[in-house]
Amino acid sequence: MFSKILIANRGEIAVRIIRACKEMGIATVAVYSEADRDALHAALADESYCIGPAAAEDSYLCGERILSAALISGAQAIHPGYGFLSENARFARECIRNGIVFIGPDPELMERLGDKTEMKKLVEGTSLRPIPGTGVLSGLEEALEKAEKLGYPLMLKARSGGGGRGIRLLQSAEELRQTWSLAVAECASAFGDGALYLEKYVWPARHIEMQILADEGGNVVCLGERDCSVQRRHQKLIEESPSPGVSPAQRAALTQGVTEAVKKIGYTGVGTMEFLLDKAGDFWFMEMNVRLQVEHPVTEMLTMLDLVKWQIRTAAGVPLRFTQEQIVMAGSAMECRINALAPGKLGMLHVPGGHFVRFDTYLVPGVEVSPYYDPLIGKLIVYARSREEAVRKLKAALCELVIEGIPTNIGEQLRILSGEPFMSGNYDLTLMEGR
Amino acid sequence: MPFLEFLFQPKNELEQGGRSAAPVQSDEREPEKTCPNCHNAIPLSRLWAGLNVCPCGYHFRMGVRARLRYLVDKGSFCEMFSDVRSGDPLGFPGYADKLETTRTSSREDEAVICGTAEILGQECCLFLMEPYFMMGSMGTAVGERITRLFEYALAHRLSVVGFTVSGGARMQEGLYSLMQMAKTSGAVKRHADAGLFYLTVLTDPTTGGVTASFAMEGDIILAEPGATVGFAGARVIEQTTRKALPKGFQTAEFLLEHGFVDAIVPRSRQRELIARLLKTHAAEGGASA
Repeated sequence: MFSKILIANRGEIAVRIIRACKEMGIATVAVYSEADRDALHAALADESYCIGPAAAEDSYLCGERILSAALISGAQAIHPGYGFLSENARFARECIRNGIVFIGPDPELMERLGDKTEMKKLVEGTSLRPIPGTGVLSGLEEALEKAEKLGYPLMLKARSGGGGRGIRLLQSAEELRQTWSLAVAECASAFGDGALYLEKYVWPARHIEMQILADEGGNVVCLGERDCSVQRRHQKLIEESPSPGVSPAQRAALTQGVTEAVKKIGYTGVGTMEFLLDKAGDFWFMEMNVRLQVEHPVTEMLTMLDLVKWQIRTAAGVPLRFTQEQIVMAGSAMECRINALAPGKLGMLHVPGGHFVRFDTYLVPGVEVSPYYDPLIGKLIVYARSREEAVRKLKAALCELVIEGIPTNIGEQLRILSGEPFMSGNYDLTLMEGR
Repeated sequence: MPFLEFLFQPKNELEQGGRSAAPVQSDEREPEKTCPNCHNAIPLSRLWAGLNVCPCGYHFRMGVRARLRYLVDKGSFCEMFSDVRSGDPLGFPGYADKLETTRTSSREDEAVICGTAEILGQECCLFLMEPYFMMGSMGTAVGERITRLFEYALAHRLSVVGFTVSGGARMQEGLYSLMQMAKTSGAVKRHADAGLFYLTVLTDPTTGGVTASFAMEGDIILAEPGATVGFAGARVIEQTTRKALPKGFQTAEFLLEHGFVDAIVPRSRQRELIARLLKTHAAEGGASA
């Protein structure tokens, strides 16, 4: 096992990873920007290095500085968390070149899975059905011709886009003609890649993602699904597992399909396959996330497996100690993301507790929530024997959570939870439309 | 606000298992080895970082010095009887030359090394057979070294741990090498009669006279995954009995199923398990008690 790991991230996920390392007896190295001088992750780690000013480009996205910190501190591995450099193949390659383990997939595989056209080729021959679409388009003529075949409505997407950016909804050929050149120019400037492709618009739908865990020996387990359909502008707000919209038969088929695909790809570590579940009950494969997800605790609470520890273990070549059959998934787990609505300084903090209530956060009294980074300040996760009990528990815990000095979305989360669509479990991605 | 201060540290022990560092892969032209099981090419540094085991679980053969590195406590191995060497009792044509070239290429004097060592603090006598020295074949020197090791262990009331790999008796020494079977077995018996513990680990391949003598005489017999263990070769048996052999015949897994082996232990778990067994079975009044 690695005896020292550098955590190339900040906020709650850095704290989460440091905690796992402490349990495993691994020494930790934190990196922080000037804005995070007093951050919990920097205080909690055994060693901390300041890597630059507040702007992410000059600190958490600066691979060279993070690598220097790793080399100086003698860390054997780097855990990238999520966001920042977690899906940056160039950084992963640079780590390997310097004799440091990048806790994530092989850079080449990362590149192939990041390229949506390549990714579709990878899952060809498995039971996963990618959303019908085109390859990279050469120009407007080709786009119009292929769009006609697929049928409107369609999505015009950027090959290098992601996180909900670089996407346009098209209702007709006329709209495609109007937006084409603008879309090319925009994508070229935003992602440095003007390549576009068309995809069938699956709507209304649920956002379902399957969590997988794989070791170097080709053993793969699927840890069930998470329903992330409560989203606003592609930002997830509430996640739950199991999904009230997935039947046991669908789950079994999807588990088998996902396991088979991951084996074929030859993936190692933790990963997530994202699907859209349409009204007809068909699953359409969107993409694979090759990193730890923000909402991973939902699966952890349901399966009682520590995903971060297993991610570190698989990166060190430790084989999985359990099989698919040995994974028990009973009950219901839910997560509410607590976002800051504006920057501010934290006054009082009261964290809810109790049976199967977990709050992952980086907040400590006196800390400043700066405008430089993601507004996520904490994740409230609960587990209960039934879905109804989990909703009750989550609501009670939310009411108990006090974050003074920083405006948050706690009130809104409570309204969503109490609303009929969520209570009944009968909701999809349209839930937050117009809200 | 200064850093938060935490008064205590958990001081948890480091979890065991897996690699402790990145396999160095900086050289893109690094030599690779193809795994006969999964057919993937693995860079040598990565293979060695994983104890010469392919990620798919296939255990490649391992020389004695490499095995010592992961098995025993650093600096604890004290080699014995290295002056015992094979002669050429029959004047077998070309044998003397072959011994000379093998000694040069394998950098070992004989097909076994013996000595005392500590495994996670548990003192024991240890012999390791060398696959790269005439496939660990048993000649007079091999038999003599092992016999002497058991006699030493008896005198000092120590447990014996042996890693076997062998193509069988050394044909160039004829009957002299066959006699080693009886000689080593006698030494094992005297060691056992004194109530002392003997553990063998069968590695790929353990065959012929070695299987028929000291390899299968351990109080506890462990094996590496996928190791071939048998007396006569499978083809010879098939031709003699004129019967098709069952699937997986003469593999460690087959032997486990039929009760000839107590457990199959991958390399990553050997050190820990052997230490635990040594601790449990250490002789009273012996050094490891």
